[in-house]
Amino acid sequence: MARAEPPAATFERRVLRSAAEHHYLRVRLELPDGGARPSVAQFKQLVVSALRELHGEVGAALPVDVLIYEEKTLSAILRVISSGLVKLWSALTLLGFYQNRRCAFRVLQTSPFLLALSGNSRELVLD
Amino acid sequence: MSVPPLRRLRQVPRHLLVCEKGHARHARSRHAAHVQEHAYNCRVSFLIPECGILPEVLKNTIADVGEYYLVRNLSVHELVAHEFIDAFVKKGSCYALTYNTKIDQDNTAALLPNGKLILSVDKDTYEELGLQGRPSQYSGKKVMRYIITIDLTDSGFHPDSKKHNRVLWALKEKKPLEFDFLLAWYNTGAEGSTLMSYFSKNQIQALKPKITFNTLRDLQCPVLQSNELQGKPDESCSTEELFEWLGAVLNQVSLDNKSSSFLSTYCCPQPNTIVEKAFLCTITGFIIPEKIIQLLEQLCCYFGEPKLAYWLTLTVHGFADSPVSWRESEHGFHKGGENLYNFVIFRNLDYWLQMAVGTNDDCPP
Repeated sequence: MARAEPPAATFERRVLRSAAEHHYLRVRLELPDGGARPSVAQFKQLVVSALRELHGEVGAALPVDVLIYEEKTLSAILRVISSGLVKLWSALTLLGFYQNRRCAFRVLQTSPFLLALSGNSRELVLD
Repeated sequence: MSVPPLRRLRQVPRHLLVCEKGHARHARSRHAAHVQEHAYNCRVSFLIPECGILPEVLKNTIADVGEYYLVRNLSVHELVAHEFIDAFVKKGSCYALTYNTKIDQDNTAALLPNGKLILSVDKDTYEELGLQGRPSQYSGKKVMRYIITIDLTDSGFHPDSKKHNRVLWALKEKKPLEFDFLLAWYNTGAEGSTLMSYFSKNQIQALKPKITFNTLRDLQCPVLQSNELQGKPDESCSTEELFEWLGAVLNQVSLDNKSSSFLSTYCCPQPNTIVEKAFLCTITGFIIPEKIIQLLEQLCCYFGEPKLAYWLTLTVHGFADSPVSWRESEHGFHKGGENLYNFVIFRNLDYWLQMAVGTNDDCPP
């Protein structure tokens, strides 16, 4: 497709202060060995029920997206609207049971930038 | 009784995203300076849409990213020794950063290419060391962390000066500090000993950056217009939308969700086009700015020949635990320690630069 080349851009700088619409959390669910692992839908349901348990129906209505979920490692990236970060984080922290089994959410990394989650220097392993 | 501050439930930690646009060949463009000023980088990725095989020139540039060194249990006083300063600090750009130290818990040290040694230490270590420093900007009312800056190339820092002797005494006898260091050295052609031979008495290991290639098929790419940073409805996407999209691509998030989906409502920003294949390369290690500038330059040259791609991106992640982000501005971890930047290079060599930092950081330059 031919596209007309626009004129060279003039310099412009924009500073966005605490303007991120969403926050992102990389989490891991810890379950005792053996037993069924939740599917992605069950995982999302677990997050919603954690929110309901702590923050009621209003909390359960918080828009949370499961961006990726890996069933093997039980790790996921969650996206939440910025004003709901504290609610989501607290709900995950205080969740203790999945299907009557002990469980715990570990928040591995959190950032207002999804891009930041793709490179964590704390996990840098050199051989 | 006061009402509980429910509003605080809705607050998020401070963060900054700086977006710039300009032209890479403009005489006063500072895009390369921004790369140079960001000293410690742990991952570099670039994404080229409509590219199946990487051109030979780019392959060579990646192969030339160069090795870096990991020195175990290195005393900090060895970095202020005059043999070291004369052989490396004054003869090129010397980069050093402590490895596996956490800036919010441990003592940390870093040597900048301009010859400044920065120690970020807790209160107890600071008091034991007895070197002059300043309280950390992000420590609040009760100062628990101090920053000590020593200029190794200062004319008053010669071997017989009182200053030098005091620093050496403090780091050698008063409070010996030992870390695992990541080291890299860049010099233009000068002969001399190498880091490998200089630290042969220590446990030194030469490491090569890990490089991975990936071809992404049928990727949805946002439509961008280089002179529209904020985007135009139905015509092009904004810089924030691109930033999130790129994060999704690098994290391998699926882009084709429906707005009614139970699991995720994230989808590629509108308008977008489907690109048959895109080339993604990721380099992980201790990567010095000089090499990133070379790579950036080669990526600009990519558009020297007619290409299908309208733009490409170059993403650089900084170390979350380095004591500085850009230049010498203090950096802290708080909740994520993010300090990263991303270039979008357009076909006509316009560029967008996005610089993002977290809570404990100054505004990027």
